[in-house]
Parts: sequence; C-alpha cells; structure tokens
Amino acid sequence: MSYSLAGKNILIVEDNPVFRKAMRDMLYSLRADVVVEADNGIAAIDAVAKSNFDIVLCDYNLGPGKNGQQVLEEARHRKLIDYRCVFILISAEQSTSVVLGAMDSKPDEYLAKPFNAQQLMSRLTRHFERKDYLANVDKAIAKGDLPLAILLCDQLLAVGDKKMHLHLLKMRAELAISAGDFDKAGQIYQEVLQHRELPWARLGLSVIDFQNNNIEQALAGFQSLVAENPMLMECYDWLSKTYEALDQYHDVENVLQQALELSPQSILRQKKLAETADKNGNLEAAEKAYKTVVKLGKHSVHRSCSDFAGLAKLQAKTNASNEALKTLAQMREEYANHPEAELRASTLEADVYKALGNEELSQQALQKALDLCGSLGNQTPRDLQLEVARTCFLNDEHGRAEAILQDLIHCHIDDDRFLDDLRRMQSGIGMDNHSEILIQKTKQALIATNNQGVALYKQGKFKEALDLFEQAILTMPDNKTIIVNMLKILIHDLKANEFSVEKNQRVKALFQKAKQAGVDQHKLGILQMEYAKLRQSQLAKA
Amino acid sequence: MPANIENNGLFPTILASTVHDIKNSLSTLLALIRQTLAKQNNCSDDLNQLEFEAARINHSLMQLLVMYKIDSQKFSLLIDEYPAIDIIREAVDQQARLSRLNNIDLQIACDDEVMCYCDYPNVSNALASVLNNALRYTKQTVLISVSEEIGYLRITIEDDGEGYPEHFLNADLNNMADLDWVSGNTGLGLYFVSVIAELHKRGDVCGYVQVDNQSRLGGARFNLFLP
Repeated sequence: MSYSLAGKNILIVEDNPVFRKAMRDMLYSLRADVVVEADNGIAAIDAVAKSNFDIVLCDYNLGPGKNGQQVLEEARHRKLIDYRCVFILISAEQSTSVVLGAMDSKPDEYLAKPFNAQQLMSRLTRHFERKDYLANVDKAIAKGDLPLAILLCDQLLAVGDKKMHLHLLKMRAELAISAGDFDKAGQIYQEVLQHRELPWARLGLSVIDFQNNNIEQALAGFQSLVAENPMLMECYDWLSKTYEALDQYHDVENVLQQALELSPQSILRQKKLAETADKNGNLEAAEKAYKTVVKLGKHSVHRSCSDFAGLAKLQAKTNASNEALKTLAQMREEYANHPEAELRASTLEADVYKALGNEELSQQALQKALDLCGSLGNQTPRDLQLEVARTCFLNDEHGRAEAILQDLIHCHIDDDRFLDDLRRMQSGIGMDNHSEILIQKTKQALIATNNQGVALYKQGKFKEALDLFEQAILTMPDNKTIIVNMLKILIHDLKANEFSVEKNQRVKALFQKAKQAGVDQHKLGILQMEYAKLRQSQLAKA
Repeated sequence: MPANIENNGLFPTILASTVHDIKNSLSTLLALIRQTLAKQNNCSDDLNQLEFEAARINHSLMQLLVMYKIDSQKFSLLIDEYPAIDIIREAVDQQARLSRLNNIDLQIACDDEVMCYCDYPNVSNALASVLNNALRYTKQTVLISVSEEIGYLRITIEDDGEGYPEHFLNADLNNMADLDWVSGNTGLGLYFVSVIAELHKRGDVCGYVQVDNQSRLGGARFNLFLP
C-alpha cells in the first residue's frame, strides 16, 4: 500500500479496549508511528491540551462521562485543536439523533463503524489535501485577519481548481458576510444557485435578508428551507432567530422544540428553549427543558451555574420551594467556591425563604447576595444583576436596586432586547414602567451625544468628536454605538491626518473592546477591512 | 411490555434499536476478526470469508435502518456537491477486501473534475452494495465508470459474469412486491439503491436505477442516474 501516516501525531479516543486495539493496529498498518490513546473524554481533553494532533479519531460513545460530541465541542471552544487538525467522529450508531448531534458539533468527518483501513486513509487523504490547499486562508481566519483571508481566498479562486471551487466559493461568501459585504456574498450565492439548488447557498441568501433587515423575506426563506431540508439544523436556528426579531416568542419555542426533537443533545438550543418557554409562561415546558439542560451540562463545556439557577427559579415560581432549595444545594455541590454560583444561589434563597415566611433566613441570604454582588462588580452577568435588583425591590432595598438598574441601563441602552427583559422584570413585581423615565432620558442622552459627535466629525473636528465620546463612554461603558463611532472617527482621522503609533494602538484596543462588547461581526468587519486598507497604504508610503 | 406490540406501533422501534444493538456486536466481531487476521501471516481463507460475511451482514443492517427511517418519515437527504471520484472511491474502499480476496481486476473510469450532486454517505453505501454483488458474481473484471448525460450523472457498474437472471430484469425495482424476497436472492441492495436514487430530485426530475445485461465486459450492467 502506498499510503502512509508516518510522522503524523495521532490521538485515538475510545473506551472499548477491543476497538482501541483494532484502531491502533489499523493505524500501524498505515505506517503511523506516533499514536496516543485515551479511554475517556476527560483523558481526551487532557491529551489535546498537552499536544498538537494532526489527527483525532474519537468515538461517540465513551461510556460514563463526556461523549465524543462533547469532547469536540470542548476542544473547539477552548481552542485546544487548531485548523490543521483533522477531527473524525466515529460511531456505530446511525440513529438520527446521534448523527445530527454529531454534525452539530461540526467534525471534519463522521465515520460509521465498522470501517476499514482503506476507507480511513481515503478520507484522511482528502482532508489533508483540502487543508493543505486552504492552509493559508485558514490560518488568516484563525488569526482573525479578515482582509488577508479574503485576499488569499480570491487568489485561490483565480487559480480555478474545479474540485475545490465550490468549497472556496462558500468560504468566500462567508468571509464577505463577516466583512459586511452583503452584495458580494449575495452575488456568489446567486451564481451558485443558478448552477445548482444548494441548501447552503439558499440559506446564505436568507441570512443576508436577515442582516439587511428584510425580516419578512428572511422568514419566508428560512421557513421553506426548514420544510425542504428538515435535517439542516442551522436553518432551525436562523428561523428561531427571525421569530425572535419579530417578537413571536411562541413560534421561537415551537421551532426550538422541532429542532430538539431531531437533535436532542444540543445543550445551547435546549437552554434557549428553557428561557423562551419561561418567558412565554409555559412553565411546565420550561422546567422540563431546564432539567434537560442541567443533565446535559454535566459533561459539557457549555454548562453553567445559571442552568441550575434557572431551574430553581422556576421551581420557586410554581411554589415548589423545597424542590428549589434542593436544586440550589445540588448547584452548590457542583460549583463549590464559585462566586457567581453562590451569588445566584443566595439571591434565589432570599426569594424562596421569603415565600416560606422565614424573614430571617431571607434577610441573611439577601445580605450575602449584596456582599457578593459588590465584590464581583462588573463581572456579574447582566441577567444576574437584574435578579439581584429584583430581590432588592422585593425586600425593600430600593436604593441598592436603583443603583444596579441605573448602571445596567447606562451600559445597555442600545440593546432593546435587554431593556425588554428589564421591563419584564419590573412588571413581574408590580412595578410597571418603573425605569421608563431613566431609560428615555439615557436614550436621549445617547442620541444627543451621537448627533453632536457626528456633527463635529463632519466638520473634520476629529479630536473634539473623539473627546466627546471618550467622556460619554465614562458614563456609558461598553456601549456598542459609541465604540463603533469612536472606531470610525479614529480610522478617518488616521486617513486624513498623520499616522501615529498612539492612535494606532487606540484603534487596536477599541477593536478588542468592540469584540468583547459583542458588536456584530459584520459591522466590525467593515471597519477591519477599511483599517487594513489604510495600513497597507501606510506601509507602502513608509 | 404490552402483550401486543404491533398494535402499539412499537415493533418498528424495537426492530430499529435491536438492529443498532446487533451492529455494535458486529463491529466488535469484525474488529476481533481483523486482529486475528493481522496476527496470522499466512492468510486464512476461513477468516477472510468470516470477515466478508460480517461486513455483508453489516451492510444489510445499515440498509434496513435507512429503510426504517424512510418508512417512519425520519429520513431526509443531506445534499451537496462532491467530486464523483470521491463517492466511487468510498464504495470501492468499502469493498477493498472482497476485490483482493477474489483477485478481481477493479477498474475505475472517472474524470477527476466530474462533480456529483447527492447525499454522499447514502449514495456511496448504495453503490458499495451493488459493487459487492458485482464482485461476487464476476469472473475477473469489474468496471466502474461515470458519464454525464443530459440532465443526469450516470454511474455504471459492469462485470463479466453471467448477468442478471431473467426474472430480475423483468422486475420493477421500485416495487417491493415485485422483488423475489422468498428465494433468498432478495435484491435488497438494488431496492435500496433505487429508493435512494428516487429521493434525489431536481425540479420534477428524480433519480433512478436501470439494470440490464449490456455490459461491455459481457455480464451484468447496473446504471444509477442522478439528476
């Protein structure tokens, strides 16, 4: 046989010793020389954390603990495997739920047991060829260098390898979307569709509709995609996102239910379902979903103490106080010495004990929560801050509650969805429209600052505009609109005036901040492209 | 467990989960056979035969599972465009041992640049089972070729064996009732591939299968047409 795996660093993840040995023998027959083995999910994660593998062959069923899908999710999430690694998920199971779940975690390949050495080698060869061909583009993407990735992709497209052509076009369109260049992406998808009815191109067009705010059109597109391609899980996610944009939360719930019936292992989708059902007042469904989330979370990188808190909160809502306390005890066990978990637990306990008529314990819990909230400060997740504020109101700690809300409103004034959550919280405790004046005032302040800044900018007064926004960001930290505006001004300043290291550093820091604040990728992409062009001409001059 | 499972519609589910269970055992069995094979340098015919039979059982089970999913409406294709040669390679790789076992000259005529619009795993599995048949009934040579016809991609598997029996050629492959399920030579593989072919659609046109004895090599000829 001419094939060879010599010199490749290979990891086998398999709990069954017979298969492990069979797989090892198979690899040796393909001339592999570096083979590492792991017999469970945690050992697999340890192995990929320690060394870079060229190939990971991971079984889906790994006995108790993490399954193969969870290993892959964690490895990707924690960036333990890089773009060169070929990750193959293996399973003897072919049930829809396993296959779709596996696809959800996007392995390079899904291989059904049993398979032979030739099959394995052919697939590996194909992936190595493809990865070699795309290495530079993938590297640029991994580094977050969008302009370079686009440039390299265009160069490859110009060469015109027919076998890679479609794959490249798909990649190029996705890059265009990241760069906010929807026209280019749309053009590519149209071109592909003229030749063939491919679901991913159809999906791409609807995504563009969504991003361009043609929500009704996007909705129609996603609906027909789901009807025609019931196995494409991405379509369900986009469809539910679209319903969300239309505030049709019952439809969001239905779509998520549909998706989870097909692929029940997805913890993030399950979590979304739990939250949505809770919002819809569908408490039974919410509780069931939260229970599943907690169960799935046991071995998942996406687990969070907020899952337990969500469940306990529901139980408290349905007056199952003892159940709620049990859930919180379980949460403390799983998240020992975890300040956020302790804060969530104490906040909820204050509610539960109050409901049980135990004022003393309720006060104790609230005090503990407030202390923790103080020490966690800005690191407290915003949903949790809302919870704390709510509990403060209920316990007549109005001053504390108002302080928290004021901060939250200032930080998230341009996030309407979050403001709705805030309003919902207040309505829930009989305080309808309580913060409306502050919200409106803050909104107006933002608009005023924005208008003033833009006016200064248009007059070419970059420094003044920038100073204004710097001032504003002190009272509205992490405000996306302001960050994006500052970036625009700085980039234009660099274009119009002389280049300085200092300004350049400020741009880089703001890009970082924008990413952290969660500015839409395509909005950032536009600025990144502009900045890259600027840097190039700068370098050319130098 | 209810006394009458069929009335509760449970039977298909039990069937499917049993098949999954058997597949797991079969995978272990195959792994053990391969390990034993690897230990023995002088290739034992019996072990080879054992491996081949186990692989064949696995194929039938896999087809059964897909049929079950189609029947219970839990199935849809995942379609994209792939190089045709990759799909053929996959089928050939699956049957690699059989072609070596019988010393068969397996030829492939497929241009690297021909693309195929299909569900990759299901089409290659279906082709593998047809290929399995060809490899068993041929004398010496099997030829797989790909050609582009108006509106279709055509994948042809030809051999130099005795050809399909008369009753087979007259049967409607898309009709379960027309196939000879009793005599043993059920044609499950061919039925499977025709079901999969039919699920491939482009507008009003769908894929289909054709069998005859017009092989250029003198035996049976199988054609899969994908729109």
